Amino acid sequence: MRAWLAHRVEGLPVAAIVILVAALALYPLAATMPFWRHVVIMSMLYGAMGVAWNILGGLAGQVSFGHGLYFGVGAYTAAYCYTAFGLSPIVSLPMALAISTGASVLIGLPTFRLRGHYFVLASVFIMQSIYVLVSNWDRMGGAIGIEYPVYKAEGIADALWHGQFPDKLPYYYAALALFLLALGTFRAIQRSRFGMFLVAIREEQDAAHSLGVDVARYKLYALIASAAVTTLAGTFYAQYVLYVEPISTVSLLVSLEIGFIAILGGIGTLWGPALGAFVIVPTTELLRAYLSGRLALDMSRLADGGPLAWLEYYALGGGGNVDILVYGLVIMLIARFQPAGVLGFLRRID
Amino acid sequence: MAAPLLEIAGLTKRFGGVYANRDVTFDVRHGEIVGLIGPNGAGKTTLFNLVTGFIRPDAGTVRFDGADVTGMRPDRLCHRGVARTFQILKPFPRLTVEENVMIGALARGDAMESARATARRALASVGLEHKRDGLARGLSTGQRKRLEMARALATGPRLLLLDEITGGVDQPSIPGLIDLVGSLRSEGLTLLVIEHNMRVIMSLADRVVFLHLGEKLAEGAPREITAHPEVVSLYLGRRRDGH
Repeated sequence: MRAWLAHRVEGLPVAAIVILVAALALYPLAATMPFWRHVVIMSMLYGAMGVAWNILGGLAGQVSFGHGLYFGVGAYTAAYCYTAFGLSPIVSLPMALAISTGASVLIGLPTFRLRGHYFVLASVFIMQSIYVLVSNWDRMGGAIGIEYPVYKAEGIADALWHGQFPDKLPYYYAALALFLLALGTFRAIQRSRFGMFLVAIREEQDAAHSLGVDVARYKLYALIASAAVTTLAGTFYAQYVLYVEPISTVSLLVSLEIGFIAILGGIGTLWGPALGAFVIVPTTELLRAYLSGRLALDMSRLADGGPLAWLEYYALGGGGNVDILVYGLVIMLIARFQPAGVLGFLRRID
Repeated sequence: MAAPLLEIAGLTKRFGGVYANRDVTFDVRHGEIVGLIGPNGAGKTTLFNLVTGFIRPDAGTVRFDGADVTGMRPDRLCHRGVARTFQILKPFPRLTVEENVMIGALARGDAMESARATARRALASVGLEHKRDGLARGLSTGQRKRLEMARALATGPRLLLLDEITGGVDQPSIPGLIDLVGSLRSEGLTLLVIEHNMRVIMSLADRVVFLHLGEKLAEGAPREITAHPEVVSLYLGRRRDGH
């Protein structure tokens, strides 16, 4: 038993993993305020997506800034099927996964022929095109999006069927399950033949090809797996916020955030993206809560001539987005001083 | 007599207006070691890339073991038994030496443990087993050449194409590499090797093909090739005791 607990999974002892998972499971019992639960729910949601992104970006080395597409497929399929046909997310999820897989094949087949920076650029162009399309797709609510009607569930079974709960606790555990599923999927792939092929492709594609690895096929499998988990996250997100709009789903902004979490956390590693999410998402949420709007609403500070207030007013048009400025600064600092990511930083201390 | 293992017929590849290969025709028979020589830019590596499916020819055919494999993808050719090494070495730097070699066995369909066993045998046959747990990026150039060979061997090839066995390798390591290639042939492999070092070619090759500006100018036994007037004037230069 002892030996088993001391066994390390990518540097982290099993005992530590058990404690961390238990801490996550018990956290909402200590943190009863919705905001603090929300912060961790969003961290686990983005953590799951960062880990999923890492299957393609970290293992296979195919850096995509288009994963918002698969997030959007999950979110929009759930929202549209529910609002238009009253379909439970339990029913629409398999449809979302099928659409996500189809989209992966359609996008992967042509773009995986591109190498390096060109693949990254293609993912950005496709993401922007999809954003414009969805923003102008009336059936999907255009730029405004789709809002769920509020549903008062009667009993647990009914709530599960509608995927709507009156408080955050069920969402919290669903997010935890999603987060662990993403980590488990990544680990399983990493340890498999498939994972070895992906790393070989990342390290030296031509050599892998000449040694018998069907490069195109395995890249595509990596995308499908990565996209499927991201789609799952999208369906969860729609049911959680009960509102789906283009900018917070099928946008370059969301795609970049998913990629940044993995890259800044530690690309290609099991724990890096998970860690990255728990650094970046709470930072964003806290900045948003404490900085955003506060300065903008408090116009009297403009008269006082506070430097941040003036910057806010002139640079951002008084929109209350100082949080994004600080967020950008955090990302620049990590990129400048710790290119191996937060995990690399911790390893150095260790 | 059985058909040759590799039949190259009329192989032509143009890059822009320049012929990298032009109407190249020759065979490699079972169990042979054929040397491919020629000045820089003669089209030797292009020929390798054409044979192993990395680029498609503009004209001509490649037949392997009797079947037309012209333009077939590298991974499919590998499954049929064609393996290669690269002139510009391409190890997987952040995998261990053993993992590098396992890839080829895994791609053949082996499970993890049998791939590991195959990798260890291949590493032993090139004399690298003591390095198996280190990362590939920690190897010297000579060791990387051996790693490339081990990796190719783990795919279970029948034909092995070696691009520059001794290029960039220190002089004392060369006899070991020559012995290694010789032992591969005695294990039943057929080899096509690009090599600049004429001493290596003389001691290994059964036949030599000489390429110049993409065209085959001469083919024959090593002794015939070194006496061939065009090969001498274009590539080898005149002997000091000549004239």
